[in-house]
Amino acid sequence: MTDERHKESPKESDSQLSAMFDGELPQGECELLARRLTRDEALRAQWSRYSMIGAALRAERGVALHDRVAWRVQSLVAQEATYGDGTVDSGNTARTSVIVPADELRAASAARWMRFARPVAGASIAAGVAALSIFWLRTQDDTHTLLALNPAAETIVLEPDTSSTTLASNPAPAAESRVSSGEPDRYTTPAPNSTPGIVPSARLANYVVAHSEYSGPLSRRMALLGLVASDPAEVPATLDEETAPAAQAARPDEEGANDAP
Amino acid sequence: MRRDSRYRVNQQNAARIAAFLLLFGAGVAFGAEPKDWLERMNKALTTRNYVGVFTHVHGGRVETLRIIHRVRGRDVSERLLSLDGSGREFIREGTEVTCYFPDRKQVLVERRAADGPLLGALPAIDEAVSSEVYEIRGGERERLLGRTTRVVQLHPRDQYRYGYRLWIDEQTSMPLKTQLCNQSGEVMEQIVFSTIDLPERIPDAMFKPQMDASNYRWFRADRQVANNVSPALWEAMRLPPGFRMATRSAQQLPGSSEPVAHLVYTDGIASVSVFVEARKPDTQPAVGPARVGSSSAFSTVVDGHQVTVVGEVPATTAEFIAKQMKASKAATATQGLGLAPQRK
Repeated sequence: MTDERHKESPKESDSQLSAMFDGELPQGECELLARRLTRDEALRAQWSRYSMIGAALRAERGVALHDRVAWRVQSLVAQEATYGDGTVDSGNTARTSVIVPADELRAASAARWMRFARPVAGASIAAGVAALSIFWLRTQDDTHTLLALNPAAETIVLEPDTSSTTLASNPAPAAESRVSSGEPDRYTTPAPNSTPGIVPSARLANYVVAHSEYSGPLSRRMALLGLVASDPAEVPATLDEETAPAAQAARPDEEGANDAP
Repeated sequence: MRRDSRYRVNQQNAARIAAFLLLFGAGVAFGAEPKDWLERMNKALTTRNYVGVFTHVHGGRVETLRIIHRVRGRDVSERLLSLDGSGREFIREGTEVTCYFPDRKQVLVERRAADGPLLGALPAIDEAVSSEVYEIRGGERERLLGRTTRVVQLHPRDQYRYGYRLWIDEQTSMPLKTQLCNQSGEVMEQIVFSTIDLPERIPDAMFKPQMDASNYRWFRADRQVANNVSPALWEAMRLPPGFRMATRSAQQLPGSSEPVAHLVYTDGIASVSVFVEARKPDTQPAVGPARVGSSSAFSTVVDGHQVTVVGEVPATTAEFIAKQMKASKAATATQGLGLAPQRK
């Protein structure tokens, strides 16, 4: 009955699911969505796709973490089911280090969902999922090997937070009205400004780099992110041909200066 | 029996005093104002070594990046690289700043002054100014990714600047999550860390690019910071509320044969750079807005000079400042950029 009352269009469901992954969905809506996840196969499939997005991003680096993510999500849900009614066999909820192939996991997931998932602790699930969407991103390249060579290294361990307090204090409309921060109902990112760059792009890149040196830590990072993470389609990095001679003249003795490919 | 009772009372009093001291101590340590958390965060970001991986969401795009930050005395090294997507890297090591653009097979190299502004001239969070233009609030505890954080919000009081919402780790003061918001509170950009390491030492090897750029096209330029810059030959006739001049210098940028005047304005949180350079007569002037990520830019021509404003501010702010730039007679008549010659 509750689910029927809150029946939404697929688009709205996607939006809610996305917000849930971002940990931005209000607790009440999380609970409703968690209930719908136990019944709505399409929604579960969408959730699965969301959890694989990150894995797809990482695939080119050869880090196959999606299996682990899938297992963690399942494990978390199973664990929450235990919290819900206490009837789940502990053998099913115990965490294991066995990594199951993703296909098998997906094939088995529906049955396990029906078996274990209960409309319980939606906030905890959402919190766990939101955290998991980040947790798996830990990369395993040489950086950590290099860091491991420094025995005094301190690590901030960021791990999935399954406590029900997470979403309660997450920005949500109700909470926001209390602190009047202007937090939106859901996490939305406006479409990038499509205004074409009129400043020569190379010059703009130079300016951004120079500007970042004089910015505070926060705005500095945002400025540099604009250079490093911006859409290749709106790349500001192209150096105009007209700038090459001047740049070359500036460092004529530099090896590799203006090495045309 | 009476002795036992007295002993028990003393024990209870001792426990109460201990509890009070514990709570008082915790209050002193963690009862800081939101502004204090901002300052702690700024200090952590600028003075600590850290290596972190974070997701960046902007304009519907999600990208994973790594940041490596090392401070040795006044030497700041930094590496920011995209782990997926473009694969671009920004590396600042010593006096050299290098931007690798593998999607364009180009490398941009700049030289910075050895005593650059990264540590010394960072805009401090000036309460007197900032509180006029930002509402700084929050400070409440919130669990995030298994850590205890303090949520601090910088809400802009007008349309000339962006706001921030920060989840600052209580133990290390590092921002685990950052949201850039517009005045109506919409999130424009978000950064969420997945890992942060705070090593005592970071080896030089971690500041090497992950790509082989030997076949890329390299562009280099020295950055010469003028020692003696004439005061106020270029200035803004009016500024948005709260903004003030922070610094000015003359710099050599790649692709510019003449020094470029660089003026920096700040409101205590956001900063805006104004670049002024003599316009080449045979080139088309750049006029209008542009964007790089969340940074806005606006270009115009003033008295035969190309003026470009860049900053993490709304486009209207960049345009406002650009259109307020004026050159004094001395600048236009004798000294071009309004910058005095460098002292040898």
